[in-house]
Amino acid sequence: MSTGRRLAPYAFVLPALALFAAFKLYPIAWSFVLSLYRTVDGADTFVGADNYARLLDDPLFWTALKNTAVILVIQVPVMLALATGLAVALNSRLLRGRTLFRLGFFLPMVTGLVAYGVVFSVLLNEKYGLVNWLLHFAGVDAVPWLTDPLWAKLSLALALTWHYTGYNAVILLARLQTVPRELYDAAAVDGAGALGSFRHVTLPGLRPALLLTTVLSTIGTLQIFDEPFILTHGGPDNATLTIGVYLYQNAFSYFDFGYASAIAYALAVLIGILGLVQFKVLGDPS
Amino acid sequence: MDISRRGILRAGGALAAGAGLTGLTACSGSGGTGSGGAGSPDRGEITVWSWAGPAAELKALTPAFNAQYPDIKVTVEDIGNPAIWDKITTGLAAGGTGLADVLHIGVDYLPGYVEKFPNGLADLGKLGANQYRDAFAQGLWATVSGRGGRVNALPWEANSAGFYYRADVFEQAGVDVKSLDTWDDTIEAGKVIKAKTGKYLLGIDKPASQADAANFFQMLLQLQGVFYFNLDGAITLDSPEAVKAMTIIKQLNDAGLVSDLSGGWNALIASIKAGTAAVLPWPTWFGGIIEENVPEEKGKWGVRLPPAVRRGGSTAATVNSTHLAVAGSSKQQAAAWKFVEFALTRPASQVRIYQDKGIAPALMKAYDDPVFHTPSAFFSGRQKGEVFLAALQAPSPAYNYSADYARALKVVTDAQTKVLLKGADPAEVLRQAADQLAQQTGRKVVR
Repeated sequence: MSTGRRLAPYAFVLPALALFAAFKLYPIAWSFVLSLYRTVDGADTFVGADNYARLLDDPLFWTALKNTAVILVIQVPVMLALATGLAVALNSRLLRGRTLFRLGFFLPMVTGLVAYGVVFSVLLNEKYGLVNWLLHFAGVDAVPWLTDPLWAKLSLALALTWHYTGYNAVILLARLQTVPRELYDAAAVDGAGALGSFRHVTLPGLRPALLLTTVLSTIGTLQIFDEPFILTHGGPDNATLTIGVYLYQNAFSYFDFGYASAIAYALAVLIGILGLVQFKVLGDPS
Repeated sequence: MDISRRGILRAGGALAAGAGLTGLTACSGSGGTGSGGAGSPDRGEITVWSWAGPAAELKALTPAFNAQYPDIKVTVEDIGNPAIWDKITTGLAAGGTGLADVLHIGVDYLPGYVEKFPNGLADLGKLGANQYRDAFAQGLWATVSGRGGRVNALPWEANSAGFYYRADVFEQAGVDVKSLDTWDDTIEAGKVIKAKTGKYLLGIDKPASQADAANFFQMLLQLQGVFYFNLDGAITLDSPEAVKAMTIIKQLNDAGLVSDLSGGWNALIASIKAGTAAVLPWPTWFGGIIEENVPEEKGKWGVRLPPAVRRGGSTAATVNSTHLAVAGSSKQQAAAWKFVEFALTRPASQVRIYQDKGIAPALMKAYDDPVFHTPSAFFSGRQKGEVFLAALQAPSPAYNYSADYARALKVVTDAQTKVLLKGADPAEVLRQAADQLAQQTGRKVVR
C-alpha cells in the first residue's frame, strides 16, 4: 500500500480534528491552567490548588450545588415521567393527527433559550403578568412567581419542564417505535392488561432511551444557566443560584477568571461522576 | 438502539466542556497590553460607546466637535446599560480586541477595570489630562487618577444624593417636607402619608431582581460618610453606620411604607407613572427621568437634599459618577482624547447636556451658567440646579469602591433581601455578609 493511501484517512479527519483542537481541546486545557491562577494587583499569580480549596469554604458554591441538586432530584424525574406518558400517548394508534401533536410538543425545544426565558419572565411578572391576571379571575391572590424564594424555584422548574419535556418525549417515542408489536400481542395473550404491558413490555423496551434522556437531562441540569439568569439572576437571595450562574458571576461580574475556571472543573468532575453512577444503576447489566 | 457507554460519556464530557469551560478561555490574559498608539491628534476615525441619554447627547455634540476638528470622524454607539459592562469586560479581557476608542464607564466599574486590566485603559496623563486636576467636583480626581500622574479617565457626571417628592401628596397629607431633618422623622411622616393618602413612602426592589437594588442603602451609608470598604480596602460592611442604615430600611418596611420595585427599570418607571410612592430618593440625574416620563405632573413635584441619618448629620453625598476613558488598545488615542476633552472640559458642552437631559456635570466651571440657577417649573419653582450644586460644594469624603465592588454589592443586596422578605435582623445579616465578602476576597473586616 502506498504512503499516500495510508495517509488519506488522516487527511480526511484533519479538518474536524483541527476544529476540535482549536475550539474544544485548547479551551479545556487552558481553563485548567487558568484555574491555578489568581489575579493579584493586576498580575496573574500562580496559587496552585488555592482556588479549589476556596470552593470548599464558599457558602454560595454550596448553595448553588444544593439548588442544582433540588432541580435534579425533583424536576428531572417529573419531567421524564411526563415525557414517557407523552411518548406512549403519541405512539397510540388511536390518535389522529399524530404528526401535528408531535410537532406541537417538540416546538418549545426550538425556541431560543433567552427568548423563552424573557417570555416566561413577562408571563410570570407579579403585577403585570398574564398568569396572575388569569388567576385573579379564579379569585386567587397574586402569586410572587419570581420574587419569593420558594416560588422562584417552582417557576424555574415550570419553565424547564415546558422547554424540555417534548424533546425527551421525541427521543422516547423513537425508541418506542422499535419495540416489536409481537411483544404486546404476546403479553395480551398471556392476559396482561394495559398497565401490565406498559410495565413488562414498554418500560423494559424504553430502558436504553430512558438512560440516554436521564444522562442528558442530568448534564443539562448541572449546566443550567440561561433560564435562571434571565428569570431571576439567581435570586431572590440565591434561591435559584445555579452553578452555571455562579460561574458566570465570578468570571464576568467579578473578573475572577481563575476561580470561575475552578468552578467549571469541579462541575465537569461532578458530571462525570454522576454519569458513571447512572450508567451503573440504569445501564444494561450485560 | 445501541449506545456505547464510552460514546455517551465522551459526548457528555464534550458537552460539559462546551458549556462550562469554553467561554472562559477568551478571557485568559488579565488585561490589554496597551497595544494601541497615539495616532494623529487631529485626524482619524473614532468610535464612542455609551448608553441611552448620554449616548444621544454625545451624538448631538459631534457637529460642534467637527466644527473644531473637521478631520476626526466620530461614531457614537448606544450599547445600552447594563449591556455595556459585559461588552467592555469581554473586550478588555481579550486584550482590547473589538473595543471602541472612547468608553463611558461608571464609578462602580472603573476601579475593577483598572485593577484587573492594567493598561486596558490608556493613560490620559500622557495626553495632557493632569492640567484639569482641579476642574472637577472634589473627591473625583482621586477616583480617576492612579500612581505617578496616571489618569485613567475624566469625570463626566457627578451625582449627589437627592430626594424627589410629590409635593401635592405631602400637602394632601398635611406634612411639611421641609421639617424632615432625619430619616426617623421621615418614617413618621411616611406613616401619616400612608394613612391619609394610601401612598407608599418609597420603593425598593425587594427581591433584588437587579444589581442596583441596594441604591437606597448605599445612599444612607454615604450620607454618613462611610462605604462598604474603607480607604485601606478593608471591609466595613457591618459598621454601626451600616447597621443603622439597614435598620432604617427594616423600619420602613415593617411599617408598610415600602412598595416593591422588582423588575428593574420598567417597574420603576411604571411606579412613577402610577404614582405609587410619595418619594424617589434618587440622585441628581433622576430628575430628568421624572420630567421625561410624567410631563403632565409639572408643578406637582419638588426636590431637596435627603434628610440626614442622624440629627445634625450630613445631607450631602456624591453617590456616583461616570467617566469617559480611552481604550488602551485604541490606535487613535490622541484623537479620542480630543473628543473626551471637548465633551468634558468645555463648559458649553456640559451646559447643553444638562439642558437636554438633566445630567449633572462634574466640571465645576459649568455651574457658572444661568441654567443651573433658574427655577424649575416642573419642580414647583425650586432651583434644582442650586440644590445639587450645594451638595457638590459641601465637604464630601472619597469612597473606596475597590476592585471588589461587584462582590460587595452582591452580598449587600442578598442581605437586604433577607431583611425585606424574611424579616431578618440587620446586624446579623450584615455580619454574615461581611464575613462572606472577606472569605471571597481575602480582605480583612474592620470591627
